[in-house]
Amino acid sequence: MAKAQRRKTVVIGMLGTTIDQGQGPRRWERWRPTVALCQQEDLLVDRLELLYPASATLLAATVTEDIHQVSPDTQVRGAVVDIRNPWDLEQVYGALLDYARAYPFQPEQEDYLVHITTGTHIAQISMFLLVESRHIPARLVQTSPPVGRDKGLGGGGSYTLIDLDLSKYDKLAARFQQEQREGLSSLKAGIDTLNPAFNRLIERIEQVASHSRAPLLITGPTGAGKSQLARRIYALKKARRQVSGPFVDLNCATLRGDGAMSALFGHVRGAFTGALSDRPGLLRQANGGVLFLDEIGELGADEQAMLLRALEDKRFLPVGSDKEVASDFQLIAGTNRDLQVEVERGRFREDLLARINLWTFRLPALRERPEDLPPNLLYELDQASQALGQRVTMNKEAQEHFLRFATSPEARWSGNFRDLNAAVLRMATLASGGRITREDVDEELVRLRAQWTRSTSPAAAGAVDLVAEVLGSELAAELDRFDRVQLADVISVCRQARSLSEAGRVLFAQSRARKQSTNDADRLRKYLTRFGLGWDDVSGRGATEAA
Amino acid sequence: MVRIDGSKGEGGGQVLRTSLALSLVTGTPFQMVNIRAGRQKPGLLRQHLTAVKAAAEVGAAEVTGAELGSRELTFKPRALSAGNYSFAVGTAGSATLVLQTVLPALMLASGPSTLMLEGGTHNPAAPPFDFLEKAYLPLVRRMGPKVEAVLERYGFFPAGGGKFRVSVEPAPLRPLTLLERGAVKRRQATALIAQLPFDVAKRELAAVERVLKWKPTELRTEELKRSTGPGNVLWLEVESEHVTEVFTAFGERGVRAEEVAERAAGAARRYLEAEVPVGENLCDQLLLLLALAKGGTFRTLPLDGHSETQLHTFSNFLDVKVDVREVSPEVREVEVRG
Repeated sequence: MAKAQRRKTVVIGMLGTTIDQGQGPRRWERWRPTVALCQQEDLLVDRLELLYPASATLLAATVTEDIHQVSPDTQVRGAVVDIRNPWDLEQVYGALLDYARAYPFQPEQEDYLVHITTGTHIAQISMFLLVESRHIPARLVQTSPPVGRDKGLGGGGSYTLIDLDLSKYDKLAARFQQEQREGLSSLKAGIDTLNPAFNRLIERIEQVASHSRAPLLITGPTGAGKSQLARRIYALKKARRQVSGPFVDLNCATLRGDGAMSALFGHVRGAFTGALSDRPGLLRQANGGVLFLDEIGELGADEQAMLLRALEDKRFLPVGSDKEVASDFQLIAGTNRDLQVEVERGRFREDLLARINLWTFRLPALRERPEDLPPNLLYELDQASQALGQRVTMNKEAQEHFLRFATSPEARWSGNFRDLNAAVLRMATLASGGRITREDVDEELVRLRAQWTRSTSPAAAGAVDLVAEVLGSELAAELDRFDRVQLADVISVCRQARSLSEAGRVLFAQSRARKQSTNDADRLRKYLTRFGLGWDDVSGRGATEAA
Repeated sequence: MVRIDGSKGEGGGQVLRTSLALSLVTGTPFQMVNIRAGRQKPGLLRQHLTAVKAAAEVGAAEVTGAELGSRELTFKPRALSAGNYSFAVGTAGSATLVLQTVLPALMLASGPSTLMLEGGTHNPAAPPFDFLEKAYLPLVRRMGPKVEAVLERYGFFPAGGGKFRVSVEPAPLRPLTLLERGAVKRRQATALIAQLPFDVAKRELAAVERVLKWKPTELRTEELKRSTGPGNVLWLEVESEHVTEVFTAFGERGVRAEEVAERAAGAARRYLEAEVPVGENLCDQLLLLLALAKGGTFRTLPLDGHSETQLHTFSNFLDVKVDVREVSPEVREVEVRG
């Protein structure tokens, strides 16, 4: 016979104690699904595993004999399953699970089908669950009674194979892909970004966001879009009905003292002076939803401890309360610091970091994504149009002029998308008739150059408080003015440099010229260490994508 | 190797069965493509596989593509052997069709054979046992080989469970001439009933009496008290001087007994009025016998799709010439020459 080894078709099915019933000769006039499955012209059941309760032994024997008669090639193996109440899910599922666990499945040699037309609904549900969870590596098979002439002759009717692997259905697979594309697009705010690294990052976020409720950590320099991304992750989860609660966000840098605990965890009336009424706190507000804590590195020690508790147990104590409350939320944390360094310095709890950096995503700076400037420019123009209530356009020449500058090394984009947004909004506001011309662009370039020069000149260090940004406002306030001005200049040089060595060469240029310094990088590193800082803190590039 | 397009002609299982039969007789291997192309369930079904399996056993054949749904099959018989065979067919197919596949080779083999066939003996989609026994095998015997069939148990669709034995004493096939059926010697309508209301049989016979005007003595009922499943079959035998034809119809749920009877009676009346010896049922099997005998002639009704398919399939294996001549609008004369 055939040389190629065909996989045997093995059906596992419950005996239908009602629907397969029949003892006299006229049972043949009735459609009996288990027998009918073995009468199919285009399906040969090599083996049937017939499961039945001990009470149906007689019927099982009749069905076995009938199958042997209509389909001599089918081997029927009976198995008694211990089901006394076929409507008890626990009992039925348990018995079938035991059966499945003990069954020596050989998917390489045998093709399994689970017959779900027979048995109680509970049995059908249990079979479905076992197949869905791959405890039984099978497809489902459903039989239907004959219709038309086939019915008159007493034929076997028809059968349908159902594969629960939905990706095998072309139309559904196409829908899943479309859904994923829409998800990616929504995470990118509809911007057709071209930067491959960024697009990969977004794909990964989409995967994680749709499958995980674990905390996410988004790192990246200021203005890189952490908070917007957190919002879009929430919107995506909401659209996919994975969250029911609200989006609650908070910048931890704005929290101070007692208020911090209370804002996050709530308090009861009278917990402290001024606590005139109960306050639920942001964690409780975020129940069932997403809590975005930006600048999580700014959180105080007490808040960190309580947050860890809330993440691990989904329970915590409001200020002044002796009763724990529960809240189940997904945490998205944002930071522009290297939290690992903060841990080493003892400013961030190691266990909390371990808890939140299961998924860490580093958003690149705008400078690292030059190819994404054109689509983002168009996006910002749209945003400006909406903000101004007027259609804002930019002619081709003006666009090219702006983008030439925007992608040049001269453009620092130190505030990343915040800078781009402000630049476009300024141009749009000043453009007459909503048309941005080359002249408008030139004017804006002057402003941008001045802004970025100012932020790097020592005199204006206070204007953009780099020290506070890097150290945190509390620590910055503790510094002497003498040190603060010096540190601000060092940071600004570091931000423009590509590496620690390059920054060292700039800062110690005179010594270097006199050959009095041999290792500028080491000198700079030692200086920064005095403030508890590392290269990642001052370079503005944040941590690399971790975990 | 002969290459056959399985979608040509009637395009179903018959072209496959005839090819298997002729391949066994001639020893010519074949490859069939487009098997049952265009059908709702294309490719090989179980009943076809059963025939392939039986043929492969009888001819010790090398087979590829013998799988459910396969559209391509190669069959290379290596050595035809007479002997004792038993085939369990079930009801996904018919035991009589399996017999038709292997019998031509066995009746021309070098020694006697016996066959035991189990499964469906009375299946609406195949010639019933009564036709084999009363119409077909007498002609085979007249041409030479001594083939006898004995029914041991009825096997109705869908229960099956029937059984019959066939004994074969081979002999060369002699050409046959069958131009007239001669005087009708005996007419017999039999309504067989198993595990169903007896009234059904009586109503069928009443309808036969009305349509064909047969006498009460020519009508008989037969009741099977013991059978694996319920069943009802009506067959009409017309035994003439030179030939016997059998017309059958099966009871169906939802179809009145009278309607069942009219199906069989209508076919019988058409045969009787045409004054030909060979009816539609015998025609395609007789064609095969004559082709193997390389000679003979007979008169029949206009050829149907099955017979046309037979003629087309012969040309792949046999060097015979078949002429079909119109004698009158209702009568054809078929002549086979080697």
